Amino acid sequence: MRPSSRWVRLTSVLVPTDLRAEWIEEWEAELTARGGSMTYAWGAIADAWYLRTEGWTMDAMVRDVRTAVRGLARNPFFTGLAGVTLAVGIAANTAIFSVVDGVLINPLPFPEPERLVSYNHEAPGLGVNVPLIPHSQAMYLHYEANARELEAFAVVSNSNVNLVTEGDPQQLSAAVVTRRYFDVLGVQPMLGRAFVEGEDRPGAEPVAILGYGLWEQSFGANPSVLGQLVELDGTRRRVIGVMPERFSVLNEELWIPMTIDPEAPDGGSLGLIGFGRLAAGATPESADVEMQELLMRFAAEHADELPPGVMEQAGLASDVKPLKEVVVEDVRQVLWVLLGTVGIVLLVACANVANLFLVRAEARQREQALRTALGAGRLQIARQYLAESVTLALGAGVLGLVLAEFGVRGLLALAPADLPQALDIGIDGSVLLFAAAISLASGLVFGVVPAFGSRRRDLSNALKDGGRASTGGKDRMRARSGLVVAQVALALVLLVGSGLMLRSFVALKNVDPGFDTEGLVTFSLGLPSAEYQEPASVLDFQRQLADRLAAMPGVEAVGMINGLPLSEAKSAGPMEPVEQPFPEGELGPMIERRRVSPDYFRTMSIRIVEGRALEWTDQADEARSIVVSETLARTFWPDQSALGKAIRSQGEENDPWEVVGVAADVRFDGVAQEPLPMAYQPVLGGNVADPDPTRGFDVVVKVAGDPLAVIAPAREELRAIDGRLPMITPRSVASIVEDSMAATSFTVVLLGIAAGVALLLGTVGIYGVVAYVVSRRTQEIGVRMALGAPAGVVLSGFLRQGLVLTGIGVALGLLASFGLSRVLASLLYGVSATDPVTFSATAALLVGVSLLATWLPARRASRVDPVEALRGD
Amino acid sequence: MGSVRMTQVTALVLRAVSAGYHYGFDIMDACGLPSGTVYPALRRLEKGALLRSRWEGEAEAHADGRPRRRTYELTAAGREGLAEAEAKLAEMRRMLGELPPAPTGDA
Repeated sequence: MRPSSRWVRLTSVLVPTDLRAEWIEEWEAELTARGGSMTYAWGAIADAWYLRTEGWTMDAMVRDVRTAVRGLARNPFFTGLAGVTLAVGIAANTAIFSVVDGVLINPLPFPEPERLVSYNHEAPGLGVNVPLIPHSQAMYLHYEANARELEAFAVVSNSNVNLVTEGDPQQLSAAVVTRRYFDVLGVQPMLGRAFVEGEDRPGAEPVAILGYGLWEQSFGANPSVLGQLVELDGTRRRVIGVMPERFSVLNEELWIPMTIDPEAPDGGSLGLIGFGRLAAGATPESADVEMQELLMRFAAEHADELPPGVMEQAGLASDVKPLKEVVVEDVRQVLWVLLGTVGIVLLVACANVANLFLVRAEARQREQALRTALGAGRLQIARQYLAESVTLALGAGVLGLVLAEFGVRGLLALAPADLPQALDIGIDGSVLLFAAAISLASGLVFGVVPAFGSRRRDLSNALKDGGRASTGGKDRMRARSGLVVAQVALALVLLVGSGLMLRSFVALKNVDPGFDTEGLVTFSLGLPSAEYQEPASVLDFQRQLADRLAAMPGVEAVGMINGLPLSEAKSAGPMEPVEQPFPEGELGPMIERRRVSPDYFRTMSIRIVEGRALEWTDQADEARSIVVSETLARTFWPDQSALGKAIRSQGEENDPWEVVGVAADVRFDGVAQEPLPMAYQPVLGGNVADPDPTRGFDVVVKVAGDPLAVIAPAREELRAIDGRLPMITPRSVASIVEDSMAATSFTVVLLGIAAGVALLLGTVGIYGVVAYVVSRRTQEIGVRMALGAPAGVVLSGFLRQGLVLTGIGVALGLLASFGLSRVLASLLYGVSATDPVTFSATAALLVGVSLLATWLPARRASRVDPVEALRGD
Repeated sequence: MGSVRMTQVTALVLRAVSAGYHYGFDIMDACGLPSGTVYPALRRLEKGALLRSRWEGEAEAHADGRPRRRTYELTAAGREGLAEAEAKLAEMRRMLGELPPAPTGDA
């Protein structure tokens, strides 16, 4: 047969049967006239499709839907149950998808976002738990001058500033940025101008650019704000621009230029986060190659700041990657896990609804048989089933969308606070499309089962006995059992996942962070350097505040520290013991350094293991006392007491500190992270010659009663010392610990809900199947019992049936969990991804629950009254 | 069945048939359209009774040593429809001709 002929025959299946023979003849004849060329044959499929769909007018569809709606309305309980089940599944999926879409799929909301890169370093050898190593001022100048693969490069450091206007002082989140920041992002001010050359040099007039929200709230959206002076941290800055609405990278509210002296850039601290816009034709990879070369050159020119040995040991290297990757790194995995989870819930819901439809199909067997007898084709009947299931699913989809709208709000409220806000999360076009697609897909999935169940039906049997115990029922029974097995398996997967997360959560909760959160409240302060220029004035302020707060009723202790544990503040540098300095070029361990007030340890209930805590007298410049953590003491002086030993920043020969005390370890980086070696200095740290007071710090207050009740009176005390200082983010310390576990508890809650829903649906599924079997076999059971079968035998027979289904489901579920739980591995703490306890407990729970679900209807079977059963019908 | 909405394709097909092309593939060539466009148009026109089809006699076909082909011809309604379509087209041309000349430049 010629290919063209074969093609015509193949496509002819689309043509309605009554036209098919002539259709083939016509096409073959025409093609023969053309020598059977394939060139002309392709159109056959369009012709066949036209003939197939000719009858599918809107009228027919409307008629199908109308019939479906009528059919569904006749059975409101069934429709409601199925509809709500599906709506919940669809809502969960839509809500999670809208977050996934906003965070992971949508590009960053800047022009040509694919050209934005994070341009920083990595240092795997350093052993510190940070995603990237930023720039020093000197590095910034070097890359800015030499990077050819970038069209624009900028560094940013985030800080908080106090804005003083007529009303209360306000604490604002500010981004301190280099000149080309806005060129990198590709967004220019809506009013006024961006920073220009020279504004980032010492001596330039201080300026600021306002965010839209700030402009609206504090300046009445008045364009005349341009050129005005605003007081920020005691410095008067001229407003030169206002950014457009919604422009913000990390929730910052205004931008001020970073002042860098090109003659004497700071090389010591690496705190400036770099990002760039790729030049035309450049890729993150090509920029990375260039950056590595530039880094080598920089290291060679600045051997004093970056000795070759240090470079090598730290493994300092370039790290250029798409900006998007960096922004969403933390949430990526949680989100995919959640989407997978709710996907499984939807599958379980579909299985349940399919089961309901099967029951209904059973009940309607007589009606269908009648329709068949009256000449309805198999396809027509299947079409009616599909019309019903799709109509139901789309209705559930609409309901699901409404629920999802609430779900998204709930999710955002529950979500870890570091979810990047610059991203657009909500129900938009693609989310709508997603919801429609999953509704349609689930309608097809659960509609296909009964539709095909309707295929093989012995017509006369069905009409004769109303469908009871007919052979067609066997097929359907097998389908229902299969669905139950699938439900049990899926529910088990979710239960294992949530069990693992729950165990991690409990393990995290039981970790002793090294301090007691009971009765602790904290707030932050930032002293403007213009007004608190003298180190003595800073110290004076802190002592006054500590005294005043401590004198308040109910207050037990007051401490201060520049960066509380778990608050993500980082300030690590290499240190060494003075007697055994590290050789040149070898890097000492990174020590997390903090400045603390004397009562800090007592306030936080951090035990002093040896020696003493700091005292106010240690705050004077000459007394160079320091407290170290147990881990640090062990690292430097493994077999001896640390007391009286001297320690210094690596290489700083005239900066020795004497250890006067050893404090118990504290989990600083996160509850799940091992304690870091720590050094606690007095508030006025720095070099003897150049004391460097800490103007930004957290105050912790220990209270006997409700910690939050102390906030208002504490604000009054603060106002009495300096009326222009805002109290920043007052909150309980317990909430900081909770926040640090937010990602875990978020996942625990959602996985728990998902697993609970799956378990419930699975149980209902098992119950339904057994109850159904019992009701179908009442007569048979009656006969058996009348013939003397003991009730126990009947009961155990049904239990066995339920257990077999559960057993198969559990076995499959365990296998699947074994493979799938690995994706959770990085979210787990203190429990392995294949934890046998979780696996066996979950399996036992499922078996127990399904035993119960089987037992209830089975007991009914064993109590059948033979006389009643036989008389029935 | 009801009327057929006249489109460029249906008008072209009617014109081709009236010009003496009766076999499907010949009409297709005359119109310069692919078979996947011409055939559905033929089906619609036949259903709308603007065309009618019949199978040519076995004898004619056998004489040429090929399978019999289906032929299409205009009905009275088809001739009317074609005339209407052509009149509309002429009217359109006339109206376009009466438009003021296009502004000079690169229009």
